[in-house]
Amino acid sequence: MSPRACGRESTPGAGIERLIARVLFWGGLLGVALMLVGLLLWALQGGLQSHVLEVRRTIRSGRSDRPPGVFVSLPEVTGSLTARPPDPLAVVALGVVVLLGTPVVGVAAAIPAFLRSGERRYAAVAGIVLSMLLANLLLAGGAG
Amino acid sequence: MAPITFLLAVFFTSIGAGTVGAVLGLGGGILLVPILTMFFQVDMHYAMGASIISVIATSSGAAAAYLATGLSNVRIGLFLVMATIAGALTGALLSDVVPVPWLEIVLGLALAYSAVATLQQLNVELPGDVPDDRLAVRFGLEGVYYDRRLAQEVKYRATRVGRGFAAMYGAGVLSGLLGIGSGAFKVLAMDHFMRLPMKVSTATSNFMIGITAAASAGIYFARGDIHPLIVAPVSIGVLLGAYFGTALMGRMRNTTVRKAFLPVVVYLALSMILRGLGIHFP
Repeated sequence: MSPRACGRESTPGAGIERLIARVLFWGGLLGVALMLVGLLLWALQGGLQSHVLEVRRTIRSGRSDRPPGVFVSLPEVTGSLTARPPDPLAVVALGVVVLLGTPVVGVAAAIPAFLRSGERRYAAVAGIVLSMLLANLLLAGGAG
Repeated sequence: MAPITFLLAVFFTSIGAGTVGAVLGLGGGILLVPILTMFFQVDMHYAMGASIISVIATSSGAAAAYLATGLSNVRIGLFLVMATIAGALTGALLSDVVPVPWLEIVLGLALAYSAVATLQQLNVELPGDVPDDRLAVRFGLEGVYYDRRLAQEVKYRATRVGRGFAAMYGAGVLSGLLGIGSGAFKVLAMDHFMRLPMKVSTATSNFMIGITAAASAGIYFARGDIHPLIVAPVSIGVLLGAYFGTALMGRMRNTTVRKAFLPVVVYLALSMILRGLGIHFP
């Protein structure tokens, strides 16, 4: 359902809702489209015949036994995308990264929109939420 | 199971989980993790990784539609998500200090109380007049949406915001400590404490769960818990399911959504208490 195609809206400042809705809609769609493309490329390259799906219960003792196609950082994903031939599962991982960043971009887009509509208090709230998200992402990078 | 059968089975299961998740504001993870591990023998880490990404997919699909129709309230969502993320950070920091079993029992009892409270207002369609709240007035925590089922415009205003905020912080702490999604707690805090219409509560929860999931999904990604061949069929299926769910909820009554939500709360309460007592429960 496109955000533009949905029902009525009568609240003041509805432009902010529409803006965030568009970011979430198109970000979600782009992320999932990349995953679909990656999955189709993987199947076309014989993945369904040759690849053993290592998704069942496995004994995991660290990164050394990480199955193929599991990426743990953005440089790993971009490295596999620029390799010849590119890894189709890296396209899926890129979709994951896009999806992961979509809510963050949505919150970031809300800050100038709140400022434009004179809602400084909510611009500050969105700023605090964005800072917390970025702090968490930095912590995740450190953990990885 | 052949790879193609596995991918298609996970895809169609995820459509169902996404539909339910979008209607109930849960993200679908509560259903997906047990299904993936029990029926598809997926490794628990990969199931949880796929679940957290599916929460963002549900949120992106459902929140986009709910925000555009006015069902999801972005101001209430952003205000409360501050408490949830702060709680999640606290929970992550406390994870080595707090005895988790005790916490699970306390949480389970709190959920059981919420189930009783939900039961008491099972047939309440709209909250009606609520007492004025200083924080709600100051932050403009109110809104209006057009209810297609009731064929009328519904105005609402939050009350007992302090309690709702504290409940959200608690939900965040538990989320950080136990590694669980907290969609159900968000819905309960908005429905029970803040007296928002049930559909507004689940729709706003859909917006919030995407933000809180994004806060922790990076950790799952960095740990190598996101397997592309599980996350792809799950995310595509869940996003499709979320679109069906949003179309479905517009036509549902608040009371119907609450009745569908009640078994989830009962299940969660039992699950938490039994886990706290050391009894394995899916």
